[in-house]
Amino acid sequence: MDEPLDAWFKREVLAHEGALVRFLLRMWPNRHEVPDLRQDTYVRVYEAAARSRPQSPKSFLFATARNLMADHIRRRRIVAIDAVGDMDALNVLIDTVSAEHRASAQQELRRLAEAIDGLPAKCREAVWMRRVDDLPQKEVAARLGISQKTVEKHVMKAMKLLANALAESEPKSPERMGSTAEQSSIKSKP
Amino acid sequence: VNYNARQTESAMDTHKEIEDQAAAFLAQRDSGDWTDCHQAQLEQWLAQSTARRVGFLRLEAVWDEARRLKALSAGLAPGVVPAPGEWRHTPFFDSKPALPAGEASTAPSLSLSTTLARKKPAGRTLKFAAIAANVMLAIGIVTYFTWNPSGDRYSTPIGGIASVPLQDGSNITLNTATEVHVALTPEERHIRLDDGEAFFEVAHDAKRPFVVQAGDKRVIAVGTKFSVRRNGDEIRVVVTEGKVRVESRSAEAVVPPNSPATALDSQGAVGAVGGVSRDGGSGEVFLTPGSVASAGDAGIVVEQKPIAEVEDDLTWRQGYLTFHDISLADAIAEFNRYNVHKISIQDPTVAAIRISGSFRASNSAAFVRVLGDGFAIHAASAGGTTTLTR
Repeated sequence: MDEPLDAWFKREVLAHEGALVRFLLRMWPNRHEVPDLRQDTYVRVYEAAARSRPQSPKSFLFATARNLMADHIRRRRIVAIDAVGDMDALNVLIDTVSAEHRASAQQELRRLAEAIDGLPAKCREAVWMRRVDDLPQKEVAARLGISQKTVEKHVMKAMKLLANALAESEPKSPERMGSTAEQSSIKSKP
Repeated sequence: VNYNARQTESAMDTHKEIEDQAAAFLAQRDSGDWTDCHQAQLEQWLAQSTARRVGFLRLEAVWDEARRLKALSAGLAPGVVPAPGEWRHTPFFDSKPALPAGEASTAPSLSLSTTLARKKPAGRTLKFAAIAANVMLAIGIVTYFTWNPSGDRYSTPIGGIASVPLQDGSNITLNTATEVHVALTPEERHIRLDDGEAFFEVAHDAKRPFVVQAGDKRVIAVGTKFSVRRNGDEIRVVVTEGKVRVESRSAEAVVPPNSPATALDSQGAVGAVGGVSRDGGSGEVFLTPGSVASAGDAGIVVEQKPIAEVEDDLTWRQGYLTFHDISLADAIAEFNRYNVHKISIQDPTVAAIRISGSFRASNSAAFVRVLGDGFAIHAASAGGTTTLTR
């Protein structure tokens, strides 16, 4: 309990963002609402953890996401139940998803490198020079022939794009493909 | 604090607005222009809602994560941004080059890449060599290059790597803190390894043996690829291609009992050497691809390993150190070869920790951070040395 909550949250909760977002995208009919669901899930987990850290953070994260979806369904009555599937199926899914192996360091690096490559050219160069080369912002601005303020804007943009690219990129490891197969068999249940 | 007011304000934030504001704070902080006033503003903003805090933490985590790309920048000069996709050809990824060799390399390295390309078979190794060539030009290591009848001297500082193409088409890659002396004569290509470690890609020339002399030991090749590392009177030879002969004037050849037969054929060795008498206290062995020979005062010990494993021994050519389940003490000793700032371990339980992975040789600070994260090892720096403790 000595560890600061923020550091704990990054390591134990935010590290699962990819899996969480895939889970939400699969279960929720409106993908535009997924970022808000993700944020609300984080808020609930963070506030719960501020009182007492959950024993199994990843299971707790997915259970929280599931409860949140269930709350929305109950409150709004606008989401067709069969679009989300029954809650038992959600339970099964949580087990499968939380059993996912963590991507290897190499896979994570690959996803990161792919996400970086997806940035606009100037933005990518600015990120590389700042993050990888540790060049001062002033020097990055000089090398790219842009103002320091523009470097800062590129950095801002990059953070947001990277966060969302990492959240939605589909890892290609076999065990994750296995969990997708598991899910489609659940969906095909009557 | 008015709870209702907080709720109202945070309810107005969409995830998008939070993301924008969090990114603005982080970018400002990252720029270095960050005053107490900025910090106070951030804290006040964060305190308004948990949604803001988690949104901020999320971007902060991603931005921290982006630092890991350092792993892909081995040897590139600061400010040199590799082309998209080039990371696929670093030692971290096994994929075959998507482009024909040379096409993906950047302009400044063209001439050297081409030199290497001429001598090497196509494929992954070639691509790595091209990248290594980039590395060397980018770093711009100073080497001596003056022609004189008695030969040329080349050296690298601690942490340096340099590639030296020879007139005969051979190539020498010098590792950290290395000094070699090269003399090409019609009879012999003679390289003296005075200190350090070098990798040799030998152009085939049956009439002119390629001899690497390290103290009283000689490593002789005709056309092959191998490295020699010198540590005082001891040498370590790693062969990746072809066949080389190691001669030690000081001792008998020694073979471990369960070494495969390929490691040493003592009869053949005597025959091949001709003039050298084993009775005179000399030892010699033939090494084939995958052989790792250590020659010291006690004689020559040969291990036979899979090629992939010995290649890992040579990733320093790309600026990386690759460890497979070795003790932390050994890993640190390796890092210390490449860095002026040394790392030391006093605690034997820390020294005994087993380590695997690839690390940038010049970035021992990152390695120390990994140890902190992964093994809860504490690092304290003082007087040019970092000491690791539990």
